[in-house]
Amino acid sequence: MSLRGFTRNIPPMEILTEEQVEAIHRATLDVMENTGIRFENERALAIFKDHGCIVDFNERRVRFPSALVEELLGRCPSSFSMRSRNPEHSVRIGGNTLYFSDMPGRGILDLHTWQIRKATRAEVREALTVLDALEHFHIICSYTPYFDVEGIAPAMAIPECCAASLRYSTKVMWTGYQNDCELFSIEMAKVTGQDMMGLGLPSAPLTYYSDACESTIRFAEAGFPINFASGCMMGGTSPMTIAGTLVSFDAEVIAGICLAQMVRPGAKVVVEDTVLPMNMRTGSPVFGSITAALHIAAFAQVWRRYRVPTFADSGWTNAKKIDYQDGYEKSMTTLVIALSGVNVANFYGGVYGELAFHPVQAVLDDDVAGMVGKFIEGASVNEDTLAEKVIEEVGPIPGHYLNTGHTRRYFDKEGYRPKSSDQLTYQEWETSGKKDALTLAEERVNEILDSHEAQPLPEDQDREIEKILEKARKHYGVK
Amino acid sequence: MGNVIEEIKNAVMSFDRNAVRRLTEKSLSEGADPVEIFDALKEVIGRVGDDFSKGILFLPHLVGAAEAMEGGMPLIMQEIKKRGSLVASPGTVLIGTVFGDIHSIGKTMVATLLAADGFTVKDLGINVPADRFVDAVKEGAVDVLAMSALLTTTAPEQLKVIASLKKRNLRAKVKVIVGGGAISQEFADEIGADGYGSTAPGAVVLVRRLLST
Repeated sequence: MSLRGFTRNIPPMEILTEEQVEAIHRATLDVMENTGIRFENERALAIFKDHGCIVDFNERRVRFPSALVEELLGRCPSSFSMRSRNPEHSVRIGGNTLYFSDMPGRGILDLHTWQIRKATRAEVREALTVLDALEHFHIICSYTPYFDVEGIAPAMAIPECCAASLRYSTKVMWTGYQNDCELFSIEMAKVTGQDMMGLGLPSAPLTYYSDACESTIRFAEAGFPINFASGCMMGGTSPMTIAGTLVSFDAEVIAGICLAQMVRPGAKVVVEDTVLPMNMRTGSPVFGSITAALHIAAFAQVWRRYRVPTFADSGWTNAKKIDYQDGYEKSMTTLVIALSGVNVANFYGGVYGELAFHPVQAVLDDDVAGMVGKFIEGASVNEDTLAEKVIEEVGPIPGHYLNTGHTRRYFDKEGYRPKSSDQLTYQEWETSGKKDALTLAEERVNEILDSHEAQPLPEDQDREIEKILEKARKHYGVK
Repeated sequence: MGNVIEEIKNAVMSFDRNAVRRLTEKSLSEGADPVEIFDALKEVIGRVGDDFSKGILFLPHLVGAAEAMEGGMPLIMQEIKKRGSLVASPGTVLIGTVFGDIHSIGKTMVATLLAADGFTVKDLGINVPADRFVDAVKEGAVDVLAMSALLTTTAPEQLKVIASLKKRNLRAKVKVIVGGGAISQEFADEIGADGYGSTAPGAVVLVRRLLST
């Protein structure tokens, strides 16, 4: 048995016509064939050359014949499974499923001052324990939950957090790369015998730096899935328009997918929409913008054409506190992601940009995920749910439905009951301490920490992981 | 004469780099005073900056006007030099994104706005090793060293630059400023930088302030 996530039983929302999708596809092929993509990596350039791309080694520019691109895109599996060390937590990504992942933050948010500070190792463990326990949370991002931790050198952030994620949760995970650190993540995944998703990130516009190429090649060689995401900033590093950004974004991520498919035919890949508009007053990205949501809807539709599984981000907000703005920005984008048929929402725990994370936010997000997931599962229509028989039995007033077996059978199935929102009557609320959702979520975090512990790593595996960490510390010359 | 200068100003306000170059060329060849054109350009970019801070204009206007100005600046500076006239350059800024970080747009915005404000800007690009920063400072005539970084993982690199400046007795020679998505005043203080800015226009104000003290 594996985590099934949510199943979308309603048709995906479509904001483009079929002709518009085709126009975006043609423009993408044009850009790849004519403008090309820059790859700052000799190994990648040689692979492209060998497989029939036109490579300018001086400019490090690769131009892609359209037929080759279409053939390579056709090699991508439309869904794939990811094994956890706990089979109950394995997932299969793609098709009409929806899973939830988290949005890491640089530091932890202080719930009283709203300042961001470095997290401690104990707080890393606590956050992972909460994520492991949450019902609708499925996939851990492994520079998670914090990438600025007291006592951990920056170079060790990814390996240390990867090890912590493996130790304190059995949910499947994806990992980052930089300065070869992905080699340690791959080694750790092999110790626990699970799949680990890697990253290959183009730098907009139209460039892959060397680390991204190496990571792509290494994960493809290891047979692990790879996530291609381009952090385009509309008007800054990609065109200002939704359609133009989609063309530029698609050209970038498809180029990476081509590399993966050349290294390993049939390589498991996903694409992730991380596009944000630029704030034209400050130059920063605008987090939680409705423009990004619109881009996600178009992105999802275009990528259904390619039958490649998709991720999108709804975990960041421009709010600095867990407040109304944080709630509406995150929820709206999450609902759009789900309605658009995206397969994984990176959503849980993130607050401002990628600068803050908090488990209390993750608990609140678990309720939003439950509500959104319930919505896309849709309404079931059959003889029993049509309820003609029970309508006949109850008849007009004084008949009612509270005493029927039909109500008892369905009341929990037809709704989602949030676990940390205020569902009380006014009187109950007044006499029970006037708690709001934030307070209830804090209480729930404490309950989880008191009662939950992830299935521990077998001792021998734990020792192996420690050895890999030791090797990594030596490699980077840090403690 | 006044008319051509008005035309140049209008060309900047219409973000037309080619027109600025063409009109500057024309007026200089007709014997215009380069200092007069220089002052006119400064006035118009100042106005754009004011409108930006009031929220009337936005970054695309600011960067567009700055680049349009760049269409005329090299010609004007060349002519000023030739005639031996004096224009006080506010200073030279060396800028780059630190080693291990490949983010360029924030750095490029700061460089563009500084150049428009009259600073001489040497842009070393992205992923710049500590030694290249320090060598460039050593080569001389640098007033401010500006390091951009989006990633906190590059913190040791910035420390390295500052440590190396100290070791080679160059630290007192330059003001060091830092900026970028994950950088804070706290971080700037921690690594011993002279200043921190959270936005591109803020960086220009910061550089001006540091050089006036």
